[in-house]
Amino acid sequence: MSISRRSLLGAGLAAPVLVSPLFRQSAQAQRANGIIRYGLSAFPPNLQPWVSTGASAGTVKMLIHRSLVSYGPDGELRGELAESWSRDAEGAWVFKLRPGCVFQNGDPVTADDVKWSIEQIAGEKSTAYMRAQFQSIERVEIPDPATVRLVTKEPLVTLPSWFGNYNTFILSRKSTANEPIGAGPFRLVGQERGTSLDLAAFDKFYKPGFPKLKGIKFVVYADENLRNAALMSGDVDMIEYVPWQSMAAVEADPRLKLDNQEGPFMDVLFNGTKPPFNDPRVRRAVAHAVRREDIVKAAFFGRGKPLEGLPIVEGTPWYDDKLAHGWNYDPARSKALLAEAGFANGFQTTLLSTAQFGMHKDTAEIVQQHLAAVGIQCELQLPDWSTRVSRGMRGQYDMAIHGVSSDNNDPDGLTVVLDTTLSPAHGRSFKVDAPRTIAALARGRAEFDQAKRVAIYKEMQAAALEEVPLVGLAWRQQGYGMDKNVMGFVNLPGALTNSSGNMLEQTYFG
Amino acid sequence: MSTAWLTRRVLLTLAMAWVVATIVFLALHMVPGDPAELLLSTSGAAPDPASVAELREKLGLDLPLLTQYGNFLAGLLRGDLGNSLVDDYPVLQEIGLRLPRTLELILAGTVIAVIFGVPAGVYAAVHRGGAFDRAASWITALLLAVPVFVVGTLLVLLLAQTLRLMPAGGYVPLAQDPAQHLKLLTLPAIAIAKGLAAVLFRMTRAATLDALAHDYVRTARAKGLSPRRVLVVHVLRNALNPVVTVLGLQMGTLLGGTVLVEYVFNWPGLSTPLLRAVEGRDYPMVVGIILTISVLFLLINLAVELLHAAIDPRVQA
Repeated sequence: MSISRRSLLGAGLAAPVLVSPLFRQSAQAQRANGIIRYGLSAFPPNLQPWVSTGASAGTVKMLIHRSLVSYGPDGELRGELAESWSRDAEGAWVFKLRPGCVFQNGDPVTADDVKWSIEQIAGEKSTAYMRAQFQSIERVEIPDPATVRLVTKEPLVTLPSWFGNYNTFILSRKSTANEPIGAGPFRLVGQERGTSLDLAAFDKFYKPGFPKLKGIKFVVYADENLRNAALMSGDVDMIEYVPWQSMAAVEADPRLKLDNQEGPFMDVLFNGTKPPFNDPRVRRAVAHAVRREDIVKAAFFGRGKPLEGLPIVEGTPWYDDKLAHGWNYDPARSKALLAEAGFANGFQTTLLSTAQFGMHKDTAEIVQQHLAAVGIQCELQLPDWSTRVSRGMRGQYDMAIHGVSSDNNDPDGLTVVLDTTLSPAHGRSFKVDAPRTIAALARGRAEFDQAKRVAIYKEMQAAALEEVPLVGLAWRQQGYGMDKNVMGFVNLPGALTNSSGNMLEQTYFG
Repeated sequence: MSTAWLTRRVLLTLAMAWVVATIVFLALHMVPGDPAELLLSTSGAAPDPASVAELREKLGLDLPLLTQYGNFLAGLLRGDLGNSLVDDYPVLQEIGLRLPRTLELILAGTVIAVIFGVPAGVYAAVHRGGAFDRAASWITALLLAVPVFVVGTLLVLLLAQTLRLMPAGGYVPLAQDPAQHLKLLTLPAIAIAKGLAAVLFRMTRAATLDALAHDYVRTARAKGLSPRRVLVVHVLRNALNPVVTVLGLQMGTLLGGTVLVEYVFNWPGLSTPLLRAVEGRDYPMVVGIILTISVLFLLINLAVELLHAAIDPRVQA
């Protein structure tokens, strides 16, 4: 027989054609046209401007829409549709609108649009993420077409930061539920459900010279390893959520660079409606039982650091070294607290997490081992993420593992995870009693004197160490990987890392 | 082929489709997690119970399970698979967009498997016990043993991430960029093909060896026919019948297996909406997609049976 060998070789010889330079043209062409290809971790469930649908959706929404303010590269608030803001003599917040801002339908941005947007967010049937906060605005006044005056029910120092959240945009009054009209630097020009979104630069954006890119092609890579492979193979120019295990490889690749921030964190949540976790001593026992370094090493490949207190960023005025280590690893103290609470022989309980995300599962397994060492035997429950969310909201758990970011770098941004009097959420403990912590948060929010605020938030941290509305476990890094030629992008500091998508307006190819 | 036999097979296929539809419908409704609650809790906070009740009513989720099942079957008879609970997008439209991509992937995988598996099987049989036969037998055992997601991941790591010769994954429509489309198709098609090629190799080798041992081959050789003519006309014609049958059955199996390959290579076939729908408890989308895959599987099986019956009338007995 002599026929098959040649046939097989012939077929094999066809393969190199597929890897010829001709086939690389598509990716290069897009870059040459000023279009960046961005590996998104999840397709937005929807792009409703005021509804929270995750950080990936937030990245896209921040580019299509704009608010009164946003966060700049240094993490400080900067003007967007508002060029300035201040409190007037009566204590109301006054925003002066930037002249020349237009929506993507060509209409100018007016104070009426701002008022309408705020009223929609605060509305009775609203499903907006910031609805609860906006309901503390008593009324919206328009002294002139370029000025908006917000009168609040109580003094609120943090109100401007609400408009920096990526679920708080100013829309045209002509918007409909299905067709929101924003004033962002990019327009949505195409999408394929579940797969990709195409944005094109909005030529009437109010910042001269911005955006610097002609367009953005978001391609969804749900699998983190494939997303990373897409970056390393040059399929995309940039990705979000570089997997921790791949960060070293990205750093080592001369064609790539990594921009990392510590901001998100892992924590333990409790169901405070029943024993044993309705007793703060038991919750404190959990806090002292876990050696955090193990979590940082095993779940995050060393890309993080232990968190033995509330998630307050080191180096900020609110940080206190002693308070930051108030829940240090101390198994003896943990056992003593259990004995004091009447559980000298430990007890059996459940620990809810999810098998869908490795960091949640790995963290839960390490916590389980350390708790066993002090006598708390946990049965791990690892359903899919949807079930985890559902059970968290209904309080169908004893303890739960969670990963989250606060809303911003101000301690008030921790309200979302600490205030257990808010409606039940999968990301905060279920009806845990923490009155002093919550009262301190309220006082801090109403105090305008910086020195007094610092003192209040240190009191808040001390109260939380005793009341334990959550147990901090580990800070984790969040990284953007990109081609070396991608310039201008900045991963925003701390908890603002999830708002970094905003920086794509100043991103360009070097 | 008798009409009674044919009618029986078609009715049996329809009955199995109904059973599959019922199992999928019931199984999904037993999974914990209320779609209305999930849809309204995107901010992570528990939604207002009144809003949940309102949405459940709007989506028809408040109806008794039997009524929902009746509505579902009535919709099926009308050819209506319903709309997504998440964004009201018609399920049929989503399947219409994604199914051709899944079928394209399966077809490409099958072509690669046939190109490599069948000639290699024939060559190995003709040179039984030789170096190629031994090596190919080992390789096919390995291909069958290694799961498809491992092969997929290795292909991505080696050819995309390390050597940067191929894209890691993704999709570009054929009309938009034919070259890039083919390039993106290559790795997932190879991943799909690896198991099938191994099966075809083994089947072809065994069938060819069997045919080679028959008297008519010896007679053909004794008549002085060339080795090529003996192989093509007398051996392969007989050996390939079981190979074709196995190929048909395996193509049905690939429908299910391709979900994993699509995920690994980000190929936007049926797997993307299926995984999203399962996660979001989007009942109509999950049922629609699984039903489509199941019915296709049943149709392929039916086609193989009909083909088999046409070739060998004894199977109708």
